Amino acid sequence: MKPLLVIGLGNPLMGDEGIGWHVAERLAGDARLPEHVEVICGGTDLLRYAGEMEGRRRVVLIDAIEDGSATGRVRVFDRDFRGLEDHQEHAHHLSVIQAVRLLRLIAPTSFSLLGISISSARCEPALSPSMAARMPAILRQVLENLL
Amino acid sequence: MTTIAIEHLARVEGHGGITVELEGDAVTNVRFDVFEGARLLEPLVRGKRYDEVAPILSRICAICSVAHSLTSLKATESAFGVRVSPQTELLRELLYRGESIESHALHLFLLAVPDYLNYPSATALAADKPAAVLLGLRLKKLGNQIQEAIGGRAVHPVNAVPGGFGRVPTLDQLIALRGSLMQGRTDADAVIDLVASLPAADFCHSDTVYAALRSPNLDRYYGGDEVMVVSNRSRAIVRAADYRELTNEKAVPHSHAKHSTFGGNPFMVGALARLTVNPRRLTGRLAVAMKRLKLLLPADNPMDNNKAQALELIDDLDRALESIEQLLRAGLKDERPMPVHPRAGTGTAITEAPRGLLIHSYTYDDEGRVTAADVVTPTALNAASLELHLRRAVEQCAERDESVISKRLQMIARAYDPCISCSVHLVRQR
Repeated sequence: MKPLLVIGLGNPLMGDEGIGWHVAERLAGDARLPEHVEVICGGTDLLRYAGEMEGRRRVVLIDAIEDGSATGRVRVFDRDFRGLEDHQEHAHHLSVIQAVRLLRLIAPTSFSLLGISISSARCEPALSPSMAARMPAILRQVLENLL
Repeated sequence: MTTIAIEHLARVEGHGGITVELEGDAVTNVRFDVFEGARLLEPLVRGKRYDEVAPILSRICAICSVAHSLTSLKATESAFGVRVSPQTELLRELLYRGESIESHALHLFLLAVPDYLNYPSATALAADKPAAVLLGLRLKKLGNQIQEAIGGRAVHPVNAVPGGFGRVPTLDQLIALRGSLMQGRTDADAVIDLVASLPAADFCHSDTVYAALRSPNLDRYYGGDEVMVVSNRSRAIVRAADYRELTNEKAVPHSHAKHSTFGGNPFMVGALARLTVNPRRLTGRLAVAMKRLKLLLPADNPMDNNKAQALELIDDLDRALESIEQLLRAGLKDERPMPVHPRAGTGTAITEAPRGLLIHSYTYDDEGRVTAADVVTPTALNAASLELHLRRAVEQCAERDESVISKRLQMIARAYDPCISCSVHLVRQR
């Protein structure tokens, strides 16, 4: 069985919307990352990584969520992603929730989502100061979920 | 006055919306709104070195990352007078083809087909008709596989660099791709069967102006630098360096995306435009498939863009296979990128992204740093034409039931396969 796969989703040019990507980038170079974990800095289309998921027992997704919580709060959603919007709003790609449901048709992989609350998404190549300040705590919480 | 507002156009990235205003039966206003915040992507590359530009701009969109990356490289190479090798041209075309397969498969089977069959989403469709969804997923995966092998990773390619490729794919990778494509070609009949079986979408007819790269080799997405604009009455050629004649962008108050017209007329770009401008592509298996899909060119129905994507999808499989055979016949060389010597000047490139013409234009100083950049996306080019077709659809709809009009408008908007996020670029209005 292949190692656990972590995919950080988002567009790093869109400010806090790219938090999943930024976390994955930091995680990949973090000495605390367990040996049994592989990390991908993904874009916004989860289906692109269908091939990478083959043969994995578990895939952990990291993505921005808009839930009205304080910026940088990490929430864990397992299996059925209860409470998350299933509405499809993209021209190019499926929402993460819809993509996971389709991927379950073709592979028995277990998915979990680490959702990081954001309060803005605008064209900006860096995280907002409030999100950047939360990065050490976010990384700590993400790593706890990978053990 | 009656207003029909579709504020969150389902399956349109970036929350594009449609507003229709009616006075009795008369349509007084139709707007395709883009109310996402203005993007600042072009200023992001000002002052950057020439080799930093493509990696930044490829991130405009995860689905079109190859298109943005390769168009960016083509513009930079044009500015510096760099001619890449025939092997690089072939590999870039193959990479582009992989993105087209991936994008068309996703759009057709997971986004458009659910509309035609009255399912709210691909997951709902999968519950009843898994074969259609699995077909789309299989082809999408094949497109991804090509991009990963040639581009170096599944999204945002890293191998394509100014002057060529940082790392040329191995012989084993090409042979593996050839096997996957031969397997993928067996799905071609299923693609046409499925699209031919969809209910007719016959609710918008309008004379349409089309614009696409005139492809000297009939089948290129990446090569060529002349755009042909075709209407019922005329044909015109616009060279890449004169692209502003074509874009003629105009800021409109309801949208952050600028509207483009040519000769005062909106025009449509994308798969349907490509087939209209380059009809000699449509021979053999494609001609038979076109007949099965009842597609007549030039089309007056924007929904036919979905049929054109189906034809391109099966053509892409053949062309990708041909490119690999050519590379193998010529003997794959582990060549280094051509040397790049920065100089002051401007370079402009036009390519055919999956959803239509994509333009990148940069001006560099003599150290190879960007002093000005312009990116014009297919969705921005299509915006005025889409509004025109939305208006025609409302005018031609005998019913005034809001749900009927809304469904039709959403289907037309999706047939354009828009990317709202990347259609937006900075506009300042006084």
